Amino acid sequence: MFQRSRMKIALAAIGMLVSAAAGAQDYPTKPITLIVPWPAGGSTDLTMRAIAESASKVLGQPIAVDNKAGGSGTVGPATMAASAKPDGYTIAQMPITVFRLPLMQEVSWDPSKDFSYIIHLTGYTFGVTTSAEGPFKKWQDVVDFAKANPGKVTYATPGAGTSLHIGMEQIAAMAGIKLTQVPFKGGAETNAAVLGQHTMLQADSTGWRPLVDAGKLRLLMVWTGARSPNYKDVPTLKELGYPMVYDSPFGIAGPKGMDPKIVAKLHDAFKKALDDPAVIATLAKYDMVPNYKDTEDYKKFVTEVTNSERKVIETLGLAKKN
Amino acid sequence: MDTLINVAHGFGVALAPINLLYCFIGVFIGTLVGVLPGIGPISAMSLLLPVTLSGTPESGIIMMAGIYYGSMYGGSTTSILVNIPGEAASVVTCIDGHQMAKQGRAGPALGISAFGSFIAGTFALVALMLVAPKLASVAIAFGPAEYFSLMVLGLVVLTFLTQGSMAKALLMACIGVVLGLIGLDSITAQPRMTFGRMELIDGIGLVPVVMGLFGVAEVLLNTEQVIRRDIINARITQLLPSKEDWKASAGPMGRGTILGFFLGILPGGGAVVASFASYALEKRLSKTPERFGNGAIEGVAGPEAANNAAAGGAFIPLMTLGIPPNVVMALLLGAFVIHGLQPGPLMITQNPGLFWGIVASMYIGNLMLLVLNLPMIGMWVQLLKLPYNILFPLIILFTIIGVYCSSNNVFDVHVMIAFGVIGYFMRKLGYEPAPLVLAFVLGPMLENNLRKSLILSQGDLTTFVTRPISAVCLLFAVVLLIGPLLPALRKKRELVALDEGA
Amino acid sequence: MDDSSNVKFRLNNSELWGGLIGLGLGIFVIRSGLKLKLGTINDPGSGYVLFYTGILMCVFAATIIVAALTEGGPTFGSRWQNARWTKPAIVIACLIVFAFALDTFGFLLSSIPLTLLLMRLIDPVRWEIAIPVSIIVPAGMWWLLKRALGIQLPSGMFEIG
Repeated sequence: MFQRSRMKIALAAIGMLVSAAAGAQDYPTKPITLIVPWPAGGSTDLTMRAIAESASKVLGQPIAVDNKAGGSGTVGPATMAASAKPDGYTIAQMPITVFRLPLMQEVSWDPSKDFSYIIHLTGYTFGVTTSAEGPFKKWQDVVDFAKANPGKVTYATPGAGTSLHIGMEQIAAMAGIKLTQVPFKGGAETNAAVLGQHTMLQADSTGWRPLVDAGKLRLLMVWTGARSPNYKDVPTLKELGYPMVYDSPFGIAGPKGMDPKIVAKLHDAFKKALDDPAVIATLAKYDMVPNYKDTEDYKKFVTEVTNSERKVIETLGLAKKN
Repeated sequence: MDTLINVAHGFGVALAPINLLYCFIGVFIGTLVGVLPGIGPISAMSLLLPVTLSGTPESGIIMMAGIYYGSMYGGSTTSILVNIPGEAASVVTCIDGHQMAKQGRAGPALGISAFGSFIAGTFALVALMLVAPKLASVAIAFGPAEYFSLMVLGLVVLTFLTQGSMAKALLMACIGVVLGLIGLDSITAQPRMTFGRMELIDGIGLVPVVMGLFGVAEVLLNTEQVIRRDIINARITQLLPSKEDWKASAGPMGRGTILGFFLGILPGGGAVVASFASYALEKRLSKTPERFGNGAIEGVAGPEAANNAAAGGAFIPLMTLGIPPNVVMALLLGAFVIHGLQPGPLMITQNPGLFWGIVASMYIGNLMLLVLNLPMIGMWVQLLKLPYNILFPLIILFTIIGVYCSSNNVFDVHVMIAFGVIGYFMRKLGYEPAPLVLAFVLGPMLENNLRKSLILSQGDLTTFVTRPISAVCLLFAVVLLIGPLLPALRKKRELVALDEGA
Repeated sequence: MDDSSNVKFRLNNSELWGGLIGLGLGIFVIRSGLKLKLGTINDPGSGYVLFYTGILMCVFAATIIVAALTEGGPTFGSRWQNARWTKPAIVIACLIVFAFALDTFGFLLSSIPLTLLLMRLIDPVRWEIAIPVSIIVPAGMWWLLKRALGIQLPSGMFEIG
């Protein structure tokens, strides 16, 4: 018995060695799964699909997008960190909430340890909209209404702890008003919520664009540094008197312990994808600007973001209580 | 008049040889993945999304749409033949469809579901052409409170799925809700009931639960008896539904179609609720409700029509608002965007050729599906003639493959085997699996929307009765619940119970 | 129904045990709900719905138990009367062994023996049919999935398949 079980372990070890060695060289030999932690059809999903499509041409294997939405975009990366093998066949988009949520509550992952960061890609254009049939014509109307009716103004976000939630709370704090957040699962749901006037406002990335263009939604403000070229008369946060810029930059990562050679291969493929005209066109459609950082810079960036987020969370009183 | 010109224009696009070819490839692949349990339209469409890039946007999207509604046709086949639902919407087809197959009436069951699908699909398309823009408002009229009440209505429906004890069915439903909530909370990202197991963080998959409770449990139950195959064989006389079958099915099909179309418009869960609701409705309207669960053809015709009409209705929020109501529609949205198009309020006016071309191609695709599926009924029925001692091992093998393919995860195979064993003992003790599955699907939506509506109303519970749509849903739910307690209707339930005991 | 198969205060009353299991699960769900925090009615927490579902489970399970004690229920023996209980037991055993073998030995090495065993154990299929079917069908499906759909079934530690 003893003999046999040792043999089994030895065989398994050899098998693993062989497959690991072959893994890095021939990688990829089968389709790669890219976890997008947002529902299909939102701006992140659609741009990530375009990027994945382009990168898969470089890698020579299809990249299947797997939408694991929920938990403000952390369910996907958390699941990956917990259960995926670091073989390069499972990677995930890393929204900023992966770094922010651990500061706010108990979570199952540690952003500084549990991921192999691959490449930083881009960021969003966020905006606040309201139904075109609603009473708010400009942001000041919202502030006036909220002052008269504290807590009555509801806004839909793609999840608690997202930049949209934190940003709105910061704005509310500066304006001296109280707003009520309603967390949804992503752009498709927040669009429906604000269109149907179930919430008064929507704070989300550019998934609202076709509806704003069609005149069904009214864009009240954008959160970028400068005005959006597509909406020249919509003011930025800064112009409205809130000295902030929110763009929630994101990249992709795999589970911890990935072979650096595989990381390099993925990095190169996704870097090429960022130069693909088709990708640039898709990004432009959602007012997203490429924001390339290589593996090393991305790692440094994670530390910086975590530190700056900690300050904001603490000032808002949302930090986790130890 | 405008509509007619547009429709003609649409058929011009759809009948172009290249588009006809793509349409055929789409519905063919759709039928295939629909028949294979576990491999649903989602995996097939994600794999083929890149392929569509080579052609024009019309051909690509026509093919993707073909896979979607093609899979809706195929989904009922395994439910009827071997009691394995390919997807949540065909769980209810198992109840009477498989009973029909056991009585040697697999042919009529498959036939009525193919015709029902065709008729419902066609109606949904006509409705899509005529009223799509007007119905857009239905999709957004449902906020969290309305969804909550709709889910409550959906759960009440399950009391009609059961023939045995109500307490057992309700207990099963609660267990279904709890199983559905396993995994990270979608609002706070806290892990719930995961017992520290990494695999459970993502929640339990629907496919392994359904295949275990239905497919594996069914095989286990069947191995208990020595089955005399010859009796079943001798009884297979007709392959297509008879005149009586048609007469019995016409009403259920019509009602199922309308129900399915309207519920299909709603983002999330529409098709599933529609198929269960249609079953409940038919059982309630029937003069002989005791036949339900024992091979009533109405119980196949109604839900099958409902889930295909829902597939048509689901295009409305996508095409008119750019809001995808389910994952499949979201993939279709992806296909649009990759081709540089943005579905939304402006698409029908800016791109009439594309919109009407797709709608027309779906009509042609439905026709192709009918022609493709009818001859296959004979083939499927032949499959049942396979000796059971060869068939059972193969069913188990296919459920294993199907479950693995749906998630690429060995853990899911373990989950399926576990639920197979649980399902076997449940059925031995008189607990039925259908309420559990329905609650498993609706539970998480119920929870999420309850919490959101309470945040919105600031803890005011009257929000559910002061909002008109929500109030109507709850009213229906109350009527359905109180109904069986009325003395006249009580007799019917007793008949059912007696029948069960006999 | 004859009296021997319908019992009330007996340990082999199957209805009673069904209810007791339900009650146990209900209590467990209530506890999990409490642990996850109920939150307030303005902002329900992660355990809110679990807690109330657990209470409902206990209510329904209690109804079943009361019915089992007052009206009685069939014994375990009668539930399995006229059934070849050994056959499902064998299939369950095969599936459990298979569940453990799948990850280690891969799809082909575990599913071919499983299919063959099931064919011989449920009601024996003749060897000359059982052997070819149990090799051709799993291998054929494996090949079809790999080539046509790009889906890799588990290959196990020997990397076969």
